[in-house]
Amino acid sequence: MSADIISTVEFNYSGDLLATGDKGGRVVIFQREQENKSRPHSRGEYNVYSTFQSHEPEFDYLKSLEIEEKINKIRWLPQQNAAHFLLSTNDKTIKLWKISERDKRAEGYNLKDEDGRLRDPFRITALRVPKLKPMDLMVEASPRRIFANAHTYHINSISVNSDHETYLSADDLRINLWHLEITDRSFNIVDIKPVNMEELTEVITAAEFHPHQCNVFVYSSSKGTVRLCDMRSSALCDRHSKFFEEPEDPSSRSFFSEIISSISDVKFSHSGRYMMTRDYLSVKVWDLNMESRPVETHQVHEYLRSKLCSLYENDCIFDKFECCWSGSDSAIMTGSYNNFFRMFDRNTRRDVTLEASRENSKPRASLKPRKVCTGGKRKKDEISVDSLDFNKKILHTAWHPAENIIAVAATNNLYIFQDKVN
Amino acid sequence: MEFKLEAHRIVSISLGKIYNSRVQRGGIKLHKNLLVSLVLRSARQVYLSDPCPGLYLAGPAGSPAVPPPQPGEPAAGPPAGWGEPPPPAAGAAWPEIEPQPERPADPATPRAGDAEPGAPMTGAGETVRGGEVEAAEAAWRRVEGPREAAEGGAGGPAGGSDGFPEGLREARRHCGCPPGAADRPGPLGACPRVDCCCAPRPAEDEPPAPPAVGPRKRGAAGVGGGPAPGSSPLKKPRRNSEEQSGGAAEEEEEEEMETGNVANLISIFGSSFSGLLRKSPGGGREEGEGEESGPEAAEPGQICCDKPVLRDINPWSTAIVAF
Repeated sequence: MSADIISTVEFNYSGDLLATGDKGGRVVIFQREQENKSRPHSRGEYNVYSTFQSHEPEFDYLKSLEIEEKINKIRWLPQQNAAHFLLSTNDKTIKLWKISERDKRAEGYNLKDEDGRLRDPFRITALRVPKLKPMDLMVEASPRRIFANAHTYHINSISVNSDHETYLSADDLRINLWHLEITDRSFNIVDIKPVNMEELTEVITAAEFHPHQCNVFVYSSSKGTVRLCDMRSSALCDRHSKFFEEPEDPSSRSFFSEIISSISDVKFSHSGRYMMTRDYLSVKVWDLNMESRPVETHQVHEYLRSKLCSLYENDCIFDKFECCWSGSDSAIMTGSYNNFFRMFDRNTRRDVTLEASRENSKPRASLKPRKVCTGGKRKKDEISVDSLDFNKKILHTAWHPAENIIAVAATNNLYIFQDKVN
Repeated sequence: MEFKLEAHRIVSISLGKIYNSRVQRGGIKLHKNLLVSLVLRSARQVYLSDPCPGLYLAGPAGSPAVPPPQPGEPAAGPPAGWGEPPPPAAGAAWPEIEPQPERPADPATPRAGDAEPGAPMTGAGETVRGGEVEAAEAAWRRVEGPREAAEGGAGGPAGGSDGFPEGLREARRHCGCPPGAADRPGPLGACPRVDCCCAPRPAEDEPPAPPAVGPRKRGAAGVGGGPAPGSSPLKKPRRNSEEQSGGAAEEEEEEEMETGNVANLISIFGSSFSGLLRKSPGGGREEGEGEESGPEAAEPGQICCDKPVLRDINPWSTAIVAF
């Protein structure tokens, strides 16, 4: 069922909660089980905590356009009280949701019965004070803010600022800055729409705030460039402070060079010193102090370079893969096809290909590294490029902020893997 | 030669994607359509990389002043692996280049194969360009040859051949001007002879591969726009006519799609392709800027392939503008 296809995955700041959004506009939140002596193995298991419908399909009558309910991104807010807050967005509207627990209920009202029916006031002969009684845990999600009508184009990113008061939302051509408390206006900070749309050459593909510097953000483009902007320098950040671009290798030019250089995701490292970009075939790590070229380039599935024409035909070349850092920034992860995902250890320079599939992994069994055979004789256990299933794509992955626990979305299934603990 | 086929295939796939994007749920995806249009442009450049031999028939002897590659155009030569296509700069330089005398070329460095004759467009100068263009021209002739021979046997447009010969047939007009030649402004246009048949022709209709003029005129007439505006229209009117003729072109496109004869589509668009070959900083549809800046469109022969119609080929941009 295509409405179940997971479209975004995100851990919260503590890692205890994991939110997923799907194509049908639903958000499902998983919570990590607390340590429990009677069930030692359940520590670390994530179970469903809350499910709610975040967005519904809408119709823009003015433009005769249907607005998809698919959740493009979820971003958690840092926790400030017992409740949890997250932002979820579809193509046009961002919503702030409050997720709160209720485990007590007041009983003994005077004016109504236990089942809620109003009591006849004349029948009341004595007054009582309602008492709080425990009840089964109920998790409620309620929309607290709706940030609408600020984007003409499709929203691709949202990012909460380190000031915890503002956030940005980015569509193909513009980036807006919002205050979390104010829904009726936002501030446009980047606008790359040309006066004449026929002169359009690039679009914004992703944007993110710096994890520590609340005045700094980056946005990536379809031309394979990243611009870093400082909001202190001017109100409209059309002029970048830094411009990251790696010169194209002319020997690898093809019809599809522009498509595969388009950046699909950009993520700052937790340290704030590096950022990572994902294009169709590779992930690159950039030092923010060096704009001329990345400090690391990791090939995700270089064997696809000779298949670009077929991938163009079946639209796979337009797939937008995301990438993520481990909590310590020592490793990075991104997805591929055939339910494969790749991890690169930046210190040891080793990489591994793993598969998220029910058949090939049993609970608590270690994942076996996979290998794609790129030519010549196929060894046992290798899979040849032509046997890859391009419908099984892993676009969304997330890494726990502190531990080696990863969440991998494979179409409509969510896999959670963690390091074996001895 | 196989690059041309590959390019042709990619063009038809790209057009199909653009067409389908209009009925996608959630509205037109700007990013994807932009990427598809970039591929479309690249493929078309390759597809039309072999200029028509007639290109060099007229014009003063001696080399014309060939400008260096315009700034903003990729300085790199044809990408390796592409083999034959001229870099965009070559296209841009066409209006200036072509009144070159037909030199006894070192013939046919076989363009048809992958062996790229190694004439990178590094601004080496007119001789390099000339040689490259001539080699392409020679290859074009060679391609034509066998096809002509086969044609008699095949009895006209052979549907099975992927429309490729039809494209070529369209390309080869009586005057030998390349497709879209007329729409390239510049004093020498690509129809150096004022009296050449590239001038507005009413309907020289070969059914399978109607000349560029025919359908476009049909389109414009369908919109009630009458003769297309002159070659240096102002932005506003152009956009209006674009939106109108964009609609018409979309209808044409739909018709073509329905008939399944994508080759027709290519040939219709083929005549307009050259406009995009001239790249300038800013990318995209710069031919509009070029035309505005220059009173180059002096040739009466230009009218049959004017800019507003060029815009028609990208129906998605009409929708984008409508945003």
